[in-house]
Amino acid sequence: MAVQLTSGYARLLFAAVMTLTMAILSAQAQAGASTADHTTFKELQQPFESGPAVTQACLKCHTEAAHQVMKTPHWTWEFLNPATQQKLGKQHVLNNFCISVESNYAFCTTCHAGYGWKDHSFDFTKQENVDCLVCHDTTGKYRKQPGTGGLPPLKAIEWPPGSGKIVRPVDLQKVAQNVGKTSRDTCGACHFFGGGGDGVKHGDMDSSLAAPEANIDIHMDATGLDFICSSCHQASGHRVPGSRYAPTARDDKGKLMRGKESGRNPATCQSCHGTDPHKSTRLNSHADKIACQTCHIPKYARGGVPTKMGWDWSTAGQKGPDGKPLIKKDAKGHVIYDAKKGDFIVAENVVPEYKWFNGTVSYTLLGAKIDNSKVVPINAFEGGPDDGKSLIWPVKVMRGKQPYDPVNKTLVKPHTAGDDSTAYWKNFGWEKAIAAGMAETGLPFSGKVDFVETEMAWPITHMVAAKDESLGCVDCHGANSRLAGLPGIYMPGHSASRLLDTAGWGLAALCLVGVIGHGGIRILAARKGSEK
Amino acid sequence: MKLRSALLPTLILGLLATPFAAQAEGDWKKGRVYFRMVCTACHTEKAGGAIAPTTKTMAEWKAYIAADKHAKGKDSLKYYVSKKYRESIKATNKAAAKFIDDDEAALLEDITAFMIKGAKDGDSPAKCN
Repeated sequence: MAVQLTSGYARLLFAAVMTLTMAILSAQAQAGASTADHTTFKELQQPFESGPAVTQACLKCHTEAAHQVMKTPHWTWEFLNPATQQKLGKQHVLNNFCISVESNYAFCTTCHAGYGWKDHSFDFTKQENVDCLVCHDTTGKYRKQPGTGGLPPLKAIEWPPGSGKIVRPVDLQKVAQNVGKTSRDTCGACHFFGGGGDGVKHGDMDSSLAAPEANIDIHMDATGLDFICSSCHQASGHRVPGSRYAPTARDDKGKLMRGKESGRNPATCQSCHGTDPHKSTRLNSHADKIACQTCHIPKYARGGVPTKMGWDWSTAGQKGPDGKPLIKKDAKGHVIYDAKKGDFIVAENVVPEYKWFNGTVSYTLLGAKIDNSKVVPINAFEGGPDDGKSLIWPVKVMRGKQPYDPVNKTLVKPHTAGDDSTAYWKNFGWEKAIAAGMAETGLPFSGKVDFVETEMAWPITHMVAAKDESLGCVDCHGANSRLAGLPGIYMPGHSASRLLDTAGWGLAALCLVGVIGHGGIRILAARKGSEK
Repeated sequence: MKLRSALLPTLILGLLATPFAAQAEGDWKKGRVYFRMVCTACHTEKAGGAIAPTTKTMAEWKAYIAADKHAKGKDSLKYYVSKKYRESIKATNKAAAKFIDDDEAALLEDITAFMIKGAKDGDSPAKCN
């Protein structure tokens, strides 16, 4: 059936088509610089009943993506340290925050790049268990529900239970149709919240970095350079460089061409700035002994989010006058005591501590004998002034007091999170909680519980300040040097030796006396000569 | 003739509906930067304290933005997203400078997207503290 349109209709139709085209182009331009509009893909034009169903759709085009992810620590939560041969990763290490993942999987794996890891039966070989959306969501509306092994909520639920707060379900179809490159928000959804809350663990990473101003991080400045995490941690085949289990403490190789397959860590300062970034050769010479971060990150936790500096598990379990688990807050509203976890010390704008560090970190793992008469270093940063590999690094030192087995002299992994009869946060019984946790590890537990002081070091490398806010000479060379007490260095202006100073000033005084005496004699001799 | 008479209103309706149907949801990340670095910054400095998306529900924010009343109706909300306003503060406000060439309606959409997402009952309540 042929329809003859008048010229008026033709013009109208043309205008309509052009308007539609411009609107779509405008919408696509708004969506960003992606080369694919995922809303047009038939595979994604369906209601999804689960996260794995979305992954199956993704894999129809991105055929190798899951295989790649499965080789990374984001999936395995394992890392074999080549220097120490220690098997690390979240599955194996302990810390002095929430202590351990084992026996608490369903909650901790909220930050696993997968679906359904609740216990040891999780199938690491099933590709559809990989969670693409947690890293590639651009809507900001994707989230994983604690206690489910990393599943997104698909119906409205009250969380925490009894709180009256309703968590809205995730529209998987919408999120799947709006995937894109990773962002500070997607990486930050886990890395900003390590240790159980915003800014808790790292000190130099918290939600203030989601859209920071220049004074918080000069590289990530949302109105400036606007770096995302992968600008430095440039991934290849889903492998993200820049491990804190084996950090690059010293990079003498200079600038690295982006995209070049070199095997180097592209996230070091030197990979962009080179080894002589200052105009002053005197400043450049500092880089022989001092990490860039030492001067350029004068303080951490600068974005208004406090970080935990201390955590005393030994005081956990107290109840308030109402018989309910006690919670105390400081004047700013930050929790400083939680019956489930004990006492906290929180701080903002923290001056780092400094250590010689050569990149090797030695962990006290489960089963290792500890000396309870001393502070137990959970991760010891190795290095010293004379090994030729170390630099002076800024670190956050987290100080804790955590449960251990006084008979076997080992640290322990308690079962804390959960709604069962052994979970500490439900029943407040250490013996039961640790027995359950240790049973899952297969290692012995005597049934006795005591508490031991521990320390963990965290390298400070984010929250890089603008250059005019970096440290000045006097911060290290003044009387109150930040590097005071660090072995193996003589710091002009600070490292004064009374004996050396006395001898030096004595020599100077003698010289002065000699010069004056000599000059005086010459003057007198000259006068006598002229009188004659 | 019947076809012609049916086609005209269809096309007109289509034309009217097109911009809305094809319009993408605003860029909430851009909206977040503008809200925090322009709106919140000014409120903190000059209007008695920080403001946050969580202070209203999604419906309240939609109604507030549609009403276009700022400072209890003293002036227009849209003015604070306009190029004229951005131009007036760009020397001292990096966000205004960064988004100086952005379309006003699009920028308002971006801000709206952030407010809705971060509302009290939104997907990610945002306190902006």
